Amino acid sequence: MKSLNLLKANTRKEYIELKRYLPNTIALLLTFYIIFLAMFAGIQVIGDPSTQDANIQFVIVNYIFWYLSMMVVQDIGWQITNEATQGTFEQLSMSPMGVWRILFARLIALVAVHFLIVVFLLYLSMFTTGQWLNIDVISLLPILISTLFSMFGLGFIIAGMSVVFKQVQAFLQILQFILAGLVFVPVSVAPILAFFPIVKGVDLVRGIMIDGITLSQVAFADYMILLFNAVFYFVIGLVFYLNCEKVAMKKGLLAHY
Amino acid sequence: MMEQIIHVQNLKKSYKKRKTKEVIQAVKGISFSVRRGEILGLLGPNGAGKSTTIKMICGLVKPDSGIIQINGINNQEKRLKALRHISAVLEGNRNLYWRLTVRENLEYFAGNRGFSRKAVTEQVDELLDEFQLKGKEKELVNRLSRGMQQKLAIAVAMLADSEVILLDEPTLGLDVETSYEVRELLRKVANEHQRTIIISSHDMDVIQDICERTVIINNGEIVTNDKVENLLKLFDVRAYSLTLGNLLSDNQQTLLKKKFAIYQYTPDTYQSKLEVELAKSEEIYELFDILKLARTPVEAIDRKTVNFEQVFLKIVKGEQQNEKLKSS
Repeated sequence: MKSLNLLKANTRKEYIELKRYLPNTIALLLTFYIIFLAMFAGIQVIGDPSTQDANIQFVIVNYIFWYLSMMVVQDIGWQITNEATQGTFEQLSMSPMGVWRILFARLIALVAVHFLIVVFLLYLSMFTTGQWLNIDVISLLPILISTLFSMFGLGFIIAGMSVVFKQVQAFLQILQFILAGLVFVPVSVAPILAFFPIVKGVDLVRGIMIDGITLSQVAFADYMILLFNAVFYFVIGLVFYLNCEKVAMKKGLLAHY
Repeated sequence: MMEQIIHVQNLKKSYKKRKTKEVIQAVKGISFSVRRGEILGLLGPNGAGKSTTIKMICGLVKPDSGIIQINGINNQEKRLKALRHISAVLEGNRNLYWRLTVRENLEYFAGNRGFSRKAVTEQVDELLDEFQLKGKEKELVNRLSRGMQQKLAIAVAMLADSEVILLDEPTLGLDVETSYEVRELLRKVANEHQRTIIISSHDMDVIQDICERTVIINNGEIVTNDKVENLLKLFDVRAYSLTLGNLLSDNQQTLLKKKFAIYQYTPDTYQSKLEVELAKSEEIYELFDILKLARTPVEAIDRKTVNFEQVFLKIVKGEQQNEKLKSS
């Protein structure tokens, strides 16, 4: 019950801030849309006409995932950096729920709040390009949830780094390109990439949305890799964060910027 | 005897300086206890180690060694459990979300401790009333005055429903009126809500006014742990101000200088002033013997009252002199 209250409080906070600073949210959406239009135009002008449709579909799925991963992974880093500067992070650190639970609640809240934006962006992209993808919610949902767990793991790693090093802004800028790499590079380039966070999930989502495969057509091995990645990266991220918290407490960094 | 709610034993913490790698011992084995319902002042000059001590009690900094028990719970072994009994305002208005309203802040922080909005609605309303924030509940925090922000930060700590509240500089940057209001609030919090309060402050008026006991830390060590009342008495009884009807002779002044380490003489043909601090109360007889030598008329004797700021300075300066003597 306490965890549910924690989740509710953090979802409400994310929603309030997104709504209260609506112009900022709209500017963010516009920026994303403009970049998408540029990519779309690029494919049309210099892309191979025979693979144009496939390329556009590929870009839509990847681009939406990139937005989601940035909102989740990068945003948690920004939040910690900002809160440490403002002085609210030490209040969070004093919660008997534990900071990791608050951060986990925030990660879920970020997904929940940005989900509507993601859906909007998805339909806007499909409408703009005229490429209507297969939105099979039943098939997409379990894959999406598993992928989100590996994203949360990455979020915890970024959070841990932010707690110890604080000034990670430059890294957070670079991170968006790392995330783009994970999302845009197909598994077919190198099979080992399937074990990287997010990659397998995006690959399967592409299979459903572009190729129209269903959940029952997904290979058992793919499920296992997806599940392994979800558990592995989530646990690694959490353990990394908890250790960073210990280091921060030992060095007295938890409350200082 | 009242039950101890906080017990600190042989607490040590050292830091390594980033550039020079020099090890600084911020806290050198301090021990003290806080009784349930007590208002304790934790004092010390800048860099004395009081903030580190507070942060160790809050579970934000891990001590090198020593024990901190909060309501009988070791805060290193069961940190989260111990945190249920403690809340703090360490950075004043910086501990709030400036983009949220007054009510949203209260509800958010309550949510972060696992309370539902519904469960705290009544309590939030009461706190808004009590802290005179009712009319401002929908106001964004960044639009509030510093005093109101400070009150809200204390209200947030109150809502945590913890027995112990730690406050670092609760009146810093506040005007006289608001500082007084915050003081009254804290007194009310301790008396009516039966909370234990630990205050760290450089505002000695606040300490003298609301704290029952003080722990003074200097150079990472406790130099005094006593009731405010006792400390004031200790320094008060030995200081006297005498109004004399005559000037003192050279011989009398030489004798006074020899006998009393701290004295101040302001000569005046009609009303000279003599201020003397006695090491022992019996020394008053020797003072009168010196005055009797020239039959100097004593028109008035006042026991000098010291405020807590003077007491604090004397304790800290005395300790610093002792340190110098030790090192030399």
